[in-house]
Amino acid sequence: MILFALLLAVSLLGVGRLFQIRVDFEDETTRYFQLELEGERMRSGFVLEQAAVRSPAPSAQPNPAELRRAAASFATAADRASELTGGDTELRATLERLVASETAWREAVAGPTLRGRSPSLRVRTRLSNRVTRSNEALGADTAAARDAVRQAARDDTRETTILVVAGLAGALIAALVLFSGLINSMRAPLARLVDAARRLAGGELESRVEVGGPVEIAELGRAFNEMATALERDARERDRIERMKDDFVLTVSHELRTPVTVVKGFAEMLTAQKRGLNSRQYEAAEVIADSAEQLQKMINDLLDLARSDAGKLRIDPKPTAVRGLAQKAGRHMRPHFEERDQRLTVSVEKELPEVRADADRVGQVLANLLTNANKYSPEGAKVRLTAQRNGSQVEFAVSDDGPGLGEEELDHVFERFWRAQSGETQEVGGTGLGLAIAKSLVELHQGEITADSVPGKGTTFRFTLPVADGRRRRRTRARKPAKAT
Amino acid sequence: MKRLLVADDSETVLLMLQRRLEMAGYDVTTATDGQEVLEMLAHGDLQPDLILLDAMMPRKSGVDALQELRAAGLGVPVLMISAHLDAQEPERMIALGADGCVPKPFDWDELIAQIERHI
Repeated sequence: MILFALLLAVSLLGVGRLFQIRVDFEDETTRYFQLELEGERMRSGFVLEQAAVRSPAPSAQPNPAELRRAAASFATAADRASELTGGDTELRATLERLVASETAWREAVAGPTLRGRSPSLRVRTRLSNRVTRSNEALGADTAAARDAVRQAARDDTRETTILVVAGLAGALIAALVLFSGLINSMRAPLARLVDAARRLAGGELESRVEVGGPVEIAELGRAFNEMATALERDARERDRIERMKDDFVLTVSHELRTPVTVVKGFAEMLTAQKRGLNSRQYEAAEVIADSAEQLQKMINDLLDLARSDAGKLRIDPKPTAVRGLAQKAGRHMRPHFEERDQRLTVSVEKELPEVRADADRVGQVLANLLTNANKYSPEGAKVRLTAQRNGSQVEFAVSDDGPGLGEEELDHVFERFWRAQSGETQEVGGTGLGLAIAKSLVELHQGEITADSVPGKGTTFRFTLPVADGRRRRRTRARKPAKAT
Repeated sequence: MKRLLVADDSETVLLMLQRRLEMAGYDVTTATDGQEVLEMLAHGDLQPDLILLDAMMPRKSGVDALQELRAAGLGVPVLMISAHLDAQEPERMIALGADGCVPKPFDWDELIAQIERHI
């Protein structure tokens, strides 16, 4: 961070310096141009001086006034040039030599000539040449000085530019390092957050994240933990209420059982001793017995569901013959079908393997499915119970040719207390729990239950049971004695 | 006439069982917990042909009473009545020395059939 600031400052200073160099260079070159200009003025001043002394026409006399003006012009230019030389001693020396040579020429050539005693040509030529050469030397030195300044400015500019570029590059690298450092310091805490969020979503409600990293990330971590805590609290509360509900249903169902058992028992006793009752009393006793029976079934169903919800519904699967299961269910239900003039056919594929099943519970599933078919099909309908092999499973199917169910009804058919709307037929009795229990029981057997239906044509319920694995059973039996020894 | 000893903590259930079993032709004695059953048997003046024991009763449960009377060497047939009937319950009861197990609520025909089988 400090390095970055330092490098940035250096390059900014460099840029400032570049401007300064440019400005200085302008000033210097301007000064040297002016100096050159003054040099030219001195040259023309001297030319005029010479002209004033050496009259253009032989008849004409030398012109002292002209000479004075020209000499003044030379002197003014020399003064300005002297100011412009600044601290440059070499230039000043050249300038002083020029001024001295001009003074020498004026004293040795111009003065005597004005007084009519012109010096010899040789002297004249030598002195005037000296002025001219000095003047040229001044011009050359000025040009050289100007070139030197330009060169110095160029070098300076190059160096400063390199410095600026290096500074900027360094600052860029420092910024990149700083940035990647920031990214890196965010990476680990972010990865932890992602991981914790996934675990939370996966149901690990105690999942929390270790707060760390840059301020914002740490804040995010804290917010995540707060959220997780709130979620956990809600979930625990929900679980608690769910458990309370399960306990409640279990307890109530259980408590209801005793009085219902008694009512049913006594009602049955009354209907059994027909002779002692008149017809109305007998009818009443029968209704009481039927209602108690219905109540008892409902309580049993509720208990099964409550146990299933609480994970306490257990089955005892054993290798079981399919034919026996199907025929027993058919035998039990046949009186109900006969009552409604319906025909029940049971057909089981030949040589089916045994299934892993709790015979009582599968009997209950079949009874529930057959009861539905019996209740919801019209009088005289045909109902079929079939069983056949389907891969490593045996599939049972109960089909009727009743009114059938619509697509939307099929979605709800396994829900508790859901009842098909049978518009034209009279009200159908039942708890609305039969299929929900059937589903729980089939799933406890590792099977699957489905319903499909064509409205107007009938409904088919199918469920599967796994084929009993004979090999595994033999192996476990074979291993037992080995363990005992 | 065959003699039955029936134990259940609910007096109404007990009365119902007594009346119906009497109608079915049995001589019925009742008890309301396992302690009472053991006391009745201990005095030797009651020698039932079969005992119907509710598995869950206060003071002394049917399960405890069953184990104690088997430990005392009594071989009388015992049918357990259990409301918590899951699939393993009959096996568990038979392992404890019972001759059978009937579910509560009762399927009357099955109850009579079991009584007749074990007498």
